[in-house]
Amino acid sequence: MPEVRLFRLRVFFCKGGRLALLSHLELARALERTVRRAGLPYAVSQGFSPHMRIAFGAALPVGVGGLQECFDLSLASYVAPDKALEALVATSAEDLMPHTCNYIGSKAPAASVAYPLCAYEARFSRAPEAPLPVPETVTLTRKSKEKVLRVADYLEGEPVWDGDRLTFALWSRPTGSLRCDTLVEAMLAQQGAPAAPGGETLQLVSLTRTAQHALLNLL
Amino acid sequence: MTDLWPRLAALLRNAERPSRYINHEWGCTYKPDASYRFCMVYPDTYELGQANQAVRILCNTVNGIEGMAAERAFLPAPEFCDTMRTEGLPLFSLESCAPLAEFDAVGITLSHELAATNVLEVLDLANIPYREDKRSDADPLIIAGGPCAFNPEPFAPFFDAFVIGEGEEAVCEVLLCHRRLKAKGLTRGEALQAIAAIPGCYVPSLYRWLPEDAAQVRGSWIEPVHEGLPVVVHKRLFAGFAQSSAYEPCIVPFVEAVHDRLNVEVLRGCTRGCRFCQAGMVGRPVRERSVENIVSATTRGLAETGYDEVSLASLSTTDHSQIAAMLEQLNRACAGRGIRISIPSQRLDAFGVTMAGLVAGQKKGGLTFAPEAGTQRLRDVINKNVTEDDIFDAVDAAFYAGWRHCKLYFMIGLPTETDEDIEGIASLAQRIYDRARDIVPAAQRGAVKVNVACALFVPKPLTPFQWDGQIEPEEALRRVGLLRSSVKSRAISINWHDPSTSLIEAVLSRGGRECAAWVEEAWKRGARFDAWTECFKQEAWDEAARAVGIDPLIAAQRSFDPAYLLPWSHISAGVTPEFLRRERQCAAGGEKTVDCTFDACSECGVCPGLGVKTQVQGVRHA
Repeated sequence: MPEVRLFRLRVFFCKGGRLALLSHLELARALERTVRRAGLPYAVSQGFSPHMRIAFGAALPVGVGGLQECFDLSLASYVAPDKALEALVATSAEDLMPHTCNYIGSKAPAASVAYPLCAYEARFSRAPEAPLPVPETVTLTRKSKEKVLRVADYLEGEPVWDGDRLTFALWSRPTGSLRCDTLVEAMLAQQGAPAAPGGETLQLVSLTRTAQHALLNLL
Repeated sequence: MTDLWPRLAALLRNAERPSRYINHEWGCTYKPDASYRFCMVYPDTYELGQANQAVRILCNTVNGIEGMAAERAFLPAPEFCDTMRTEGLPLFSLESCAPLAEFDAVGITLSHELAATNVLEVLDLANIPYREDKRSDADPLIIAGGPCAFNPEPFAPFFDAFVIGEGEEAVCEVLLCHRRLKAKGLTRGEALQAIAAIPGCYVPSLYRWLPEDAAQVRGSWIEPVHEGLPVVVHKRLFAGFAQSSAYEPCIVPFVEAVHDRLNVEVLRGCTRGCRFCQAGMVGRPVRERSVENIVSATTRGLAETGYDEVSLASLSTTDHSQIAAMLEQLNRACAGRGIRISIPSQRLDAFGVTMAGLVAGQKKGGLTFAPEAGTQRLRDVINKNVTEDDIFDAVDAAFYAGWRHCKLYFMIGLPTETDEDIEGIASLAQRIYDRARDIVPAAQRGAVKVNVACALFVPKPLTPFQWDGQIEPEEALRRVGLLRSSVKSRAISINWHDPSTSLIEAVLSRGGRECAAWVEEAWKRGARFDAWTECFKQEAWDEAARAVGIDPLIAAQRSFDPAYLLPWSHISAGVTPEFLRRERQCAAGGEKTVDCTFDACSECGVCPGLGVKTQVQGVRHA
């Protein structure tokens, strides 16, 4: 069979508001349906179970929003990026709104691995009395097995506090990643008792992935 | 209305699958300015209820009325019900995130008997008194409908009114009446009097429930508390169904829900006449929508929702007189887009080579057939009207067309069933498997699987088998054991329902008003989500039975003489009691009754009784 030329469109979108509570699987399904509603000429895989050729970016934990999330969509015919964006915007939920579209080369890294360094912003119920200490290690328990991660292996630089706002960046390594919410929960677990008697314990209000960086951009 | 979102949002970070509770799905309607507000509740979790046809149809219809808003509510998952109780957060609607207690009316669909305790869980979580006699003028009107409303008595004390039959017109009439009377300042009791006069509505509090002996003598289980109330409530039928548009606005959920696809209703009613089937008896007559209507609704629905699957929904889609043309047009319209066209279950005698080629396009998952019984004798008793040749032809066509898995539905414990019938299930499944293996290429033989699913017979109201008892749970398990030991091939798997839950279904299905106390006591002892195997609490039901003096085993197994007046005798679905008795007699003699859409009228009484007739788009061919 002759090879059919496909056009690889990378779409950037926000995941926010209530829809930050979607799981990665739910998000993937919602985006696929958005593409169908937009009427874009998406390519369909051949084989036993034909499906849309779409690939999603790195997963976000449930409850974490994102400003620069992305997915790659293979189109069977060329559509100008601004037209594609217009069609997607018209059929997207407000809290899953695409904002940028551009074509990428056929050999470009997949959306899920293209951006190994991600920046995050956490907002808390109030400013802490003192910056919360970063734990040296984080212990994960999955299916009754424990795994200890060294935070320094993933954390880029030092977290920065600005009032009730914390910003930090984490690397995804080929061997695994440290989830942003896991790190924040571990930091919260280290907080001491409220300064004033009966004072409010520090609570996480929102967590957002604000940027994703490709290796090329960092060199 | 109170917006509970800030309180709810704070709890969602720790909830299991929070997307159940967030609203904001594509396609949902929100009418914040409507002065009259109705909330439609499915008494189970979002995943199970969102696709429910009644919820969708009624919300769309009510939202179409000026000044009225319809919102949805579902029962949160068990862990979140507990969290909400602990936090004092009442049950909320999705669209406004408002407490159910602040709505003008609440509708609950009763799709199966095991939802009974969930009805109480819904009302209690909503801070609405779950017994109608405890409600005040400040509480919403609580109405019910759905299949279980054809025997409303086990639910009677919990509802203000029942809508019997198809609700799209009747529910609107009830709500319009309620809005008008509420605006005039009438009391709850006065509103209920007016609602009782609407055709298809049953207001149980306006009828005294009589003891069994008195009911048999009087010829009715209920006695109106005053003159002028109907003594028989006739089901409502949406007479304009065939001509109405098959297109409906559809909400696209974020959560992976059951039947998460576009549903297009192609026809209503089924007159095949299976004698155990309540849907077939109460949904008559058959009304088909046209091919143009269905194709246009499907094309529009797929474009608006972004779904990659459409289900042509009905009780018996392959019976549609123009099914082949419908599938051909749909396949053409959807070609090359990775869209799957599915049909919920296939009639064995209507699934040939042509149909096999037309269903599901390139995607071939499982295929479901329902022979229901293992021998021809028993299939004749239940009037299944399917022969072994029909079954083998259908299976051959499916496996030639590329399917490799096949699911077969059977019922255990049908009236007159013997061990020979059980062994017949194993023999039939084995022969189906052998044929399938012979058909598929040698390299794919290992992929051939036959899955046998067995339900325990539950006698249902308004069917010819309504007088027949259920077999006892131990006997059901013995028969399952016999079936399992009769199956030789490991590629044939056997699944069966838990007889303990089927027993409760049987009691509630045929029970009278006294069963409500049993449901209430079971719920107080922790019973809820009874249809979920992991949540079912046998001891709660057993203790409740002792507390209220009911013997569920006796109630479920009791068989009645066809002259006995059953507790739903005041509810009519159009089929006459004489027809049901005649069918019961035919069953005993293994005599078959024809389908009136293919052959002569079977004189069930529906058409003259309801003043309607069968509406098909062309000649149906068997």
